[in-house]
Amino acid sequence: MSTVTFHHLPAREESRRTSFVGMVMALASWTMLFGSLFFAYAILRLKAGSWPPEGVAPLPRLLPFVNTLVLLASSLVLHRGARDEAEARIGALREALRGTVALGSLFLVLQLAVWVPLWRSGFTIASGVYGSIFYGLTVFHALHVLAGLAVLLALVPGARKGRYRSGRQNAVRLSAMFWHFVDAVWVVMFVAVYLL
Amino acid sequence: MADTRRNLLYAGPDFHAEQHIHPEPSSFVRRYVFSTDHKVIAKQFLWYGLFFLAIGGTMAMMIRWQIGHPGTAFPVLGELLWPESGGVMPPQAYASFFTMHGTLMIFFAITPILIGAFGNLLIPLMIGARDMAFPTLNMLSFWTNVLAGTAMVVSFFVPMGAAAGGWQAYPTLSTLVGQPGPGQSLWIVGIFFTGSASIMGAVNYITTVVRLRAPGMGYFQMPLSVWGIWLTAILNALFVPVLAAGVLLLFLDRTFGSHFFLAGAAVTKGGGDPILYQHLFWIFGHPEVYILILPAWGIVSDLLSFFSRKPAFGYKATAISMSVITFLSMVVYGHHMFVVGMSPLLSQGFMTLTMLISIPSAVFFLNWLGTMWRGAIRFTTPMLFAVGVVFVFGLGGLTGLHLGAISSDIYLHDSYFVVGHFHLTMAASVLLGAFAAIYFWFPKMFGKMMNETLGKWHFWLTIVPITVVFCGMLVVGYGGMQRRLYNADEYAFLRHLHPVNLWVTRAALLLGASQFLFVVNFLSSLVAGKKASENPWEVGTLEWTVPSPPPHHNFDEIPLVVNGPHEFSHPDVKGKDWLAQNEPIAAEPVALGAVGR
Repeated sequence: MSTVTFHHLPAREESRRTSFVGMVMALASWTMLFGSLFFAYAILRLKAGSWPPEGVAPLPRLLPFVNTLVLLASSLVLHRGARDEAEARIGALREALRGTVALGSLFLVLQLAVWVPLWRSGFTIASGVYGSIFYGLTVFHALHVLAGLAVLLALVPGARKGRYRSGRQNAVRLSAMFWHFVDAVWVVMFVAVYLL
Repeated sequence: MADTRRNLLYAGPDFHAEQHIHPEPSSFVRRYVFSTDHKVIAKQFLWYGLFFLAIGGTMAMMIRWQIGHPGTAFPVLGELLWPESGGVMPPQAYASFFTMHGTLMIFFAITPILIGAFGNLLIPLMIGARDMAFPTLNMLSFWTNVLAGTAMVVSFFVPMGAAAGGWQAYPTLSTLVGQPGPGQSLWIVGIFFTGSASIMGAVNYITTVVRLRAPGMGYFQMPLSVWGIWLTAILNALFVPVLAAGVLLLFLDRTFGSHFFLAGAAVTKGGGDPILYQHLFWIFGHPEVYILILPAWGIVSDLLSFFSRKPAFGYKATAISMSVITFLSMVVYGHHMFVVGMSPLLSQGFMTLTMLISIPSAVFFLNWLGTMWRGAIRFTTPMLFAVGVVFVFGLGGLTGLHLGAISSDIYLHDSYFVVGHFHLTMAASVLLGAFAAIYFWFPKMFGKMMNETLGKWHFWLTIVPITVVFCGMLVVGYGGMQRRLYNADEYAFLRHLHPVNLWVTRAALLLGASQFLFVVNFLSSLVAGKKASENPWEVGTLEWTVPSPPPHHNFDEIPLVVNGPHEFSHPDVKGKDWLAQNEPIAAEPVALGAVGR
């Protein structure tokens, strides 16, 4: 009468699913964090008479746009590398990590190239709410890029030993999720802070 | 032996494959300090929370003393703390104390005890798992919390003292204008860290419930305690980040001179908006109220069934109501801000959504009464505390209606009525719920029974004064007394309320004193309590199917769940009136719903 049906999955697949659920919840939490910052931006902007406020030069757009492309490219490289490694092209991940870390670092360098001249010209975090929003949001995001780079660098030794081959790339998958998330946040931030 | 006549189509994980039995670590540090065992972490959180409960409670006594006996020295401690004023609490210390009382109680007493300790203890044991999904993250969560608590304690000893802008830390009270000292910045650091710890715990709890339920343990076979803690975890994961964002911006304002919340004379160019902080705070703050109360609701729902020896009345309706409230709690925050001058249309919307909450609340409240109705009630100490929760939560819930309605809120806002209301719901209910949980699961945690006689004295000497204290606050609030007044007797129109305030203070002191009964009971039972059997309360949830205290790996065999959590007085079971969740009914035929109903 009673039927007890179990779906037996390999232990590795079980732990992959468990860590996936955990990562999704963690990223949902992070989404709320950045979402709140965007909410703060929206409220402040709606209450401002003009944006940017009078007497404040608008932000540069070219460099941040290039930077958006850099970050998107880094995501693409990471994605393809992880996929190829999973399909048994050993070494693909190692190369991809190298490329992603290089592009991520380039992003930070270009960010500095945006911040430093602006700061030198007298536009700082204390330059009214426009400066607060600009530096507050972009620096907070850059710290996440930095964290993402650390996470990716931590994968390098394992990738060199070929530890993330087919069916074993859980750590890669989770790190990539975080990296793609940080990139996605940047795209929203670019549109909200620089373009609109 | 799976012939339970239950068609169990199970598509969840295979536990035997995933959850290995790890040997218990042998070194002291790995075993008791940096432990990854959820049961040890639960005990760490319990001690930690009780420590801050004692501090926060003592501060409450001093606050009440100042209100009941303004300008006189607090006995004994006053002389030590404020020798320069002869033991009288100065106004700055008063502001600091009501701020830190709220902060410590909410984030460092209630959260660690109900979510940290009982969340950790109960989730794996009740759903039949060997540990949390991420044991290391679990350990990190506790120690991050310790860092946060340290920042809070240290903030008392810095120049100009601890934060004093209220537990909400509204700008401008919390900006450099209102709080120039480092205390407020340390407060922010503490909140940020304790928030991170809460999120780590929440991610872990959610994942554990989603992924590690034992075979047969569907969502509607879970004990309601797990439901409550799980919903709390969801709110924690989603809304604590909003507070984190708010205090982060506040930190930038204080430390790097940004202008997010500064306005008026505090800024030179292009100011921000202090009201923005209120939005961020209450988007978090309203779910936070439910974060604190949901575990207690779940625990009470289970205990009422356990000690009424009846299945929980409307189990599914209770679980669904709690879920609906969880959702609604995300969209009502504006009712905290009726008087800040927002659009009347928005206020109307927030009021309507707020009032909607009373529907699911009434459902589970009546289910509680239905569970007890005609039950063979055993008035043990945990049951007394559970009934106490029903009583004070009923009072708190009803008074909430007056604050959710705009017209009455405009009068009552920022008065002692608000203080009475939120203490009834999230202090009295939660405190009594925590005591119920401690008395009930102490045997499972420590393998000893607590003393019933002392427990019952503790209950009566708690429930009576706690009701007087918070109902007294409702009265003076309705009479027009604002909250946070240093000395209400200075105002002619409030002077006639002094006798009520005095009696509230006396009841509060009695309440504080009677907690020593608990301390004595807890400590003496720990040392010399009667040894607890595997299932002293004769109930069926999974934690009572393993020894007290459970072995390091909880379950030798992952249980196969065939019953709901409240199988009491089943007609086919002879010789006892309960069924364990993994205990098949041998007899035939089984009437409808051997599984949770």
